[in-house]
Amino acid sequence: MVKKTFIVLLLSTLTQSKELTPLLQQNCLKCHVKQKIPSELVYRRYLLKFSTKKRMKESLLSYLKNPKKENSIMPQQFFLKFPEKEALDLNDTVLEESIKAYLDYFDVKDRLELEK
Amino acid sequence: MLSSERRSLVRFLAIYLGSTLILFSLGSYMFYNFQKHQIIDTQNAQLELEAQKLTQKLRELHETYKKPLLYPNDPAFDSAIYDVDRGYIFGTFKPTSIEWSRDFYKRGDKLYCLHALKPYYLGASYLLISKDFNPKPLNELLKMLLLFLVAAGVLFTILGLFLGRRFIAPMKESIELMNRFIEDTTHELNTPISTILTNIELLDTLYNCEGQKEMRRIEMASKTLSRLYEDLTFLKLNHNYHRALERLNLSELLEERIEFFQTLIEAKDIKIIKNIDPNITLEMDRNDAIRLLDNLLSNAIKYNHKSGKLEVALRANMLEVKNDGQGIKKEDLALIQNRFRRANSSEGGFGIGLDIIGQVVKRYNFTFTIHSDINQPTKVTLTW
Repeated sequence: MVKKTFIVLLLSTLTQSKELTPLLQQNCLKCHVKQKIPSELVYRRYLLKFSTKKRMKESLLSYLKNPKKENSIMPQQFFLKFPEKEALDLNDTVLEESIKAYLDYFDVKDRLELEK
Repeated sequence: MLSSERRSLVRFLAIYLGSTLILFSLGSYMFYNFQKHQIIDTQNAQLELEAQKLTQKLRELHETYKKPLLYPNDPAFDSAIYDVDRGYIFGTFKPTSIEWSRDFYKRGDKLYCLHALKPYYLGASYLLISKDFNPKPLNELLKMLLLFLVAAGVLFTILGLFLGRRFIAPMKESIELMNRFIEDTTHELNTPISTILTNIELLDTLYNCEGQKEMRRIEMASKTLSRLYEDLTFLKLNHNYHRALERLNLSELLEERIEFFQTLIEAKDIKIIKNIDPNITLEMDRNDAIRLLDNLLSNAIKYNHKSGKLEVALRANMLEVKNDGQGIKKEDLALIQNRFRRANSSEGGFGIGLDIIGQVVKRYNFTFTIHSDINQPTKVTLTW
């Protein structure tokens, strides 16, 4: 029951934002949803540390090519709850496009609105 | 008040008030700048406070991250957030250029505060806040300073006048003493001079007196004394006596005055060249005209070489007197018109001649020029 609720919540959060691309769905969210990894929290952490899309992308790419705890910016507790990631079997172009889709999907600029 | 006293007082006041004004202006400028920075700092503190509030809001938004992220919009302030590469993220305004190196700055009538953020809530590394600069305190400060300067100006002018009068008091006393001495002397001189001149004329007319040469010398000396008496009386009474303006025949008067000086001219064997147009008239007081002509001619004779040349020319709007003298140094030309100032001490006198000429010229708005140099002829030109 908890698992279902989590998935529904996660998907509902995702669908509130930009369109979910097949690339993003296939290469990222499929496993994130399955393993209950909070994608938005990860995005926020990267945003808090790197500020720009370019810097976030560089960091994510570097981590995804070599997904070890010491290459991640997530706290140690994060890896206690979620399993250490396996390296993706994707070429650089697809990997970069997937990261771009991920960053675009959670992009802060799209979420900001002026208070009335 | 004599013109020299007035001149000294004006000079003193100019120096005193000038230096006071410079000092006060400098002090006021420094005070204004100090206060201006204080006023701006006070208004900057409001920006800083708003920056802290906004930072807190950004943190809350970052933590919730629920769409829509409602960016705070206070009408009193404009704000915008920028990423670490200075790229614009969002805001209520978007300025064209930003001074990234300064935390606070003023551009036009707006104040800006650039607040650095770490960590980067919503990706924001810089928070720029702006508000309209409130010029009211600055205008009030300016008004107060102007009022202060005016009040200080009035106070120091009064003080300056008081000090100035005390400053010129010794000079005034000296001049008054000299004037009193001249007045007394001239009064005592009048009767004997008149007696001498009358008796010379009587001797000349009634008796075929021997010793004509000696008689001429006595006449010459008496006329010099008489003229000196007239000059001194003119200076003493210049400000008080009533002038009777009349249409004078200047040609006739000039001939008459040359005749008056004939004895002196002959004594120095001066060759006189007259170019006097007939019936040149001028609206003037007769005594002023006599003093003017006498002093011009007297100087031209007195400072001429023995057997020198004296040229007198009178035209419709000009009188020119030229003599062969020792000339006057260029640097002395401007000074010799002051009372008691003489460029040449070779001849006797009080040095009041050119001062009298200067006073008459000023009264009638004539133009007076002297062209001379050392060992060159001196040419005095009077135009009207």
